[in-house]
Amino acid sequence: MYLATLLFILTTLVACTPKTPSEGVHVHSLLEANIPHLDPIHSTNKYSSTINSAIFEGLFHYHYLKRPLQIEPSLAASLPEISKDKKIYRIKIKKNVFFQDDPAFANGKGRELEASDFIYSWKRLADPQNKALGWWVFDGLIVGLNQWRADLRKGKADYDTPVLGLKALDKHTLEITLNHPSHHFLHRLAMPITMVVAKEVVDKYGSKIANHPVGTGPFVLKNWIRNSKVELIKNPTYRPALYPSESSEETQGLLKDAGKTLPLADKITIHIFREYQPIWLSFLNGTLDHGVLPKENSDQLLNKEHDIREEFSKKGIRVLTQVRPDVTFISFNMEHPVLGKHKKLRQALAHALDKKTILEKFYNNRGVVAHGPIPPNINGYVAEYSNPYKFDRMKAKRLLRDAGFPNGNGLPTFEYHMPNVSTWSRQFADFVKAQWAEIGVELRLVSNTWPQFDKKLKSKDAAIFDMAWMADYPDGENFLQLYYSQNVSPGPNSANFINRSYDSLYQQSLLLPPGHKRNKLFSKMVEFINDAVPSIFLVHRVVKLPYHAWLENYNESPLIYDYHKYLTIDQGKKNEFLKKLK
Amino acid sequence: MNSKSFSLLNQIRTQKVLIFSLSIIAIYCLLALLTSLGVVASDYSVIKTDLSYTPPSLNYIFGTDFLGRSVFSRALKGSEVALIIGFFAATLSTLIGLTLGLVGAYFSGWIDDLVVWLYTTLESIPYILLIAGLSFAMGPGLSNLYIALGLTSWVGLCRLVRAEVYKQKKQDYVAAAESVGASDLRRILYHIIPNVYHIALIQFTLNFVYAIKVEVILSFLGLGVEPGVPSWGLMINGAKDELTRGVWWGLASATLMMFILVLAINLFVHNVSKSQKFSTHF
Amino acid sequence: MSLIVFLIFHVVGGDPAYQLAGKYASADQVQSLRQELGTDKTLFTQYFVFLGQIVSFNFGNSWQTSQSVLQMIGSAIGPTLSLSLPAFILGFLLSLFISIKSLDSKKSILRGLVPIFCLALMSVSFVAYIIFFQYFLAYKMNLFPINGWDHSLLHRWSYLFLPWIIAILVSLGPNVLLLSSLLSKEMEQDYVITARAKGLSTQRTLWHHILRNSLLPISTAVSLQIPFLITGSLLLEAFFGIPGMGSLLIEAIQSADLPVIKAITVLSTLLYVFVNLITDILYTVFDPKVIIQ
Repeated sequence: MYLATLLFILTTLVACTPKTPSEGVHVHSLLEANIPHLDPIHSTNKYSSTINSAIFEGLFHYHYLKRPLQIEPSLAASLPEISKDKKIYRIKIKKNVFFQDDPAFANGKGRELEASDFIYSWKRLADPQNKALGWWVFDGLIVGLNQWRADLRKGKADYDTPVLGLKALDKHTLEITLNHPSHHFLHRLAMPITMVVAKEVVDKYGSKIANHPVGTGPFVLKNWIRNSKVELIKNPTYRPALYPSESSEETQGLLKDAGKTLPLADKITIHIFREYQPIWLSFLNGTLDHGVLPKENSDQLLNKEHDIREEFSKKGIRVLTQVRPDVTFISFNMEHPVLGKHKKLRQALAHALDKKTILEKFYNNRGVVAHGPIPPNINGYVAEYSNPYKFDRMKAKRLLRDAGFPNGNGLPTFEYHMPNVSTWSRQFADFVKAQWAEIGVELRLVSNTWPQFDKKLKSKDAAIFDMAWMADYPDGENFLQLYYSQNVSPGPNSANFINRSYDSLYQQSLLLPPGHKRNKLFSKMVEFINDAVPSIFLVHRVVKLPYHAWLENYNESPLIYDYHKYLTIDQGKKNEFLKKLK
Repeated sequence: MNSKSFSLLNQIRTQKVLIFSLSIIAIYCLLALLTSLGVVASDYSVIKTDLSYTPPSLNYIFGTDFLGRSVFSRALKGSEVALIIGFFAATLSTLIGLTLGLVGAYFSGWIDDLVVWLYTTLESIPYILLIAGLSFAMGPGLSNLYIALGLTSWVGLCRLVRAEVYKQKKQDYVAAAESVGASDLRRILYHIIPNVYHIALIQFTLNFVYAIKVEVILSFLGLGVEPGVPSWGLMINGAKDELTRGVWWGLASATLMMFILVLAINLFVHNVSKSQKFSTHF
Repeated sequence: MSLIVFLIFHVVGGDPAYQLAGKYASADQVQSLRQELGTDKTLFTQYFVFLGQIVSFNFGNSWQTSQSVLQMIGSAIGPTLSLSLPAFILGFLLSLFISIKSLDSKKSILRGLVPIFCLALMSVSFVAYIIFFQYFLAYKMNLFPINGWDHSLLHRWSYLFLPWIIAILVSLGPNVLLLSSLLSKEMEQDYVITARAKGLSTQRTLWHHILRNSLLPISTAVSLQIPFLITGSLLLEAFFGIPGMGSLLIEAIQSADLPVIKAITVLSTLLYVFVNLITDILYTVFDPKVIIQ
């Protein structure tokens, strides 16, 4: 009874809590992970890239509405002039772009952006002191930058020491010289890692810079509560930028605000979550404008055709389909004494895995079964291609016998490593274990926190593990380099696959421009990998993102991280929904 | 009603509760034995993906989980896991606590100082950090889990035993035994152990419950038992995203199975300590 | 103490150099990162560095956020205390109230039922409470916000009510049992029996004598819980999005952020020692027979 009284008092108190008055268009967004720092040079994952892209800008970005992804100038005035040998890029920079106001600048007023700011920002990326997670983007690519990095470490250079490949021809012209032609250099300049910062700000905040982001972007960081939320408000000095007026067919419905000045929202609150139950519940009760759809709740929201159920569409809930440029796979450590030596064993394991059921149960049947590393919509993907590893237990058993392990006799119990501690991973590993037990191969499942997993991979301690690789830039090469011998652990080749012939194919492909010839080479490489089976490819994912109809222009897409500036709210619709809820 | 008949009535009630709780614990032990022999719930790991999330029915009393496994069988098998964790963790902590408490208090001097230093140190580190640290060090797995739990939960017992031994030491019979010249070991075994066993029993049971409950929290951090082992902790944590889609049976069955066992043990400790007129709390 | 902390957490999983090197790591890079972090040195050297940190109270910067560790802890303590302190105080008062009421009650049924009710409360997992209450009270009944936080003192409370309720509910069982046993012990003392024989009502005796005389054991028992208020509740903070020490700790554990883990451990240990000292001093104030040894 006392408890009931207490409960009553508390609820009355809650009801009395004053609500904040509306402050213009306010979008409530979310991230499913905490972000440790806001510094472009470390933005190597989706989460930090997203927030950084609201505050900072780079030379290029991807068009919000055109598909396939199309690069267009952001801070650059136009696409670059590229020399005949494809090594020199001359880039004009927009005039009258100002950094956000900050005490670091004279009088607290942000100064105008110059070409030299890019050179400074990229030197920061190369500076070993900064331990930039994104250094790989320019590693070995720009003339003199690696040398400068080495000299800096030895104390023989400083930030004033010129780098041959990075020149500011005048205040608004940048010239970049590459060591060798690179077909994805522009994509690299569209990555959040290469976005521009101001020297004054870095000097002022020193080691605390990662908590004081100041860029040229559409939003200013107002408040950041770690493990809770990030609040962004409209940058009053933002350069003139307009909502796009062209689109692809599939995004035609998103042209209502064409030609309007960006950003459309006055305030963005990005809520940070650790658990899925609160995300889903907060979305349903209208606290969040958009959400994520946990696999558990998929059937609730969507029917078999992946369309939204009527009861939800009536409430004004919509879903966005996102084709992810990624692949999930199970890899073998090729240095493992048993797994690495027996190709037929690996092939048997590939045959013993029911990829269709995996797609159906673990990905709600969204996406496609992967037959190689390269995902759909990426150069080098061949929709018609299928690898030989159909689900076939008889064949798996035969191969196992041929490998010298009839019914798994003579095999040790392998350790299977999970990349995180989520329920999803646990269920998935359970499933794999059961499937392989059918042909007599036993697993011991090991769950890991991400750092433990990372360590095991990089020190070659994991025998079998599952993971996903998401494109850093939209090109098949980004997936094929996962099996290049120069990239073995601690690099991205976590399977430690080493093969001379594969290497030479890969090196050949680097020299070719995108096109038919290169794609053919890619296909050859995919077949090569599939024959050797360092990895069993599972699924290219398609994700459904639920949102409320009052959130307009929502088109969150992979590799497009600066989507917040396009978002706006139909407050009338939202109020109506909230009223009905009460 | 005079106070004498009141306490008599109380005693009878206490005894009834003791019998009741002991029989529940016995049923769980029997269940665990049967599941470990594979007589009961042998289908706990049988995956039938087309039956995923079947609601409770005659075939599946508690429904099925995501992979179509019987939740009832998993909850039953979970009692085996819980009893293993509870038993070994409690045994280990009792052994350590008893030994260190006895040895420290009996020999006093620097040995006692060492024991006191050890337990104040352990006690001062937040237990979740301590267990997390140990579990990280040893890696996941059932045996590592109860070792970690055992290594970190002996402080209460050690402290009580130590105090009790000091109290007993002052009493005459030990002094008398000393004059006869009994050996150290004999003195401990014959005189002091019978006097501290009830503390040990109560602490053993408390640690038993503690281990079962902490397993759930460790599962949340991903430090619990090996995945695939149907522990209640994994079931409860797995259920955290299921409730919103209306799948309540995973959470309900694991919570219920745990509730009955833990309540029975709690009732047992509570009534034992009541009849022993001894505070169970630390 | 420091040795145990150091040894246990040294292996907390993950190699920070690998973490910081990112997904395109090269062996060179990893090696130079190890040099910078000092993780390439012997354990012995690293231990002395750690000792120095404790003495100077400077735990350096987080490996993950490159913020000062003390600053991170400073900003997390507020949220944690506003969760744990009111819950602790309210929970304690409620427990005291319930135990006095139940001891006072003439109905033996109530006296028998309260402990059983407490034991039942204690037999449900913390995680189950959270999952169920968040779903039922916050979402289904729409009584509380589901999740969130506001730094302003005025607005944060609305997010805290539900976590408080759960924290109180969880602490109720053990607290009521503890208080009842302490109080009933006092009730068996001779003076209480005499007082009763003289015809003083139970209620008066309870409030005036027993409670006052039990103050010492109660405050000792309570003070032991204080250090743990700082570490906060990992579970409550994670589910309700409260940016406190618990969240900091989970984040640190899951990203192998050793400086943060070490600092939290050392701080809560120091707090423990401090609180114990205070309790001892209180003892001498309340009870002159005890002398600090």
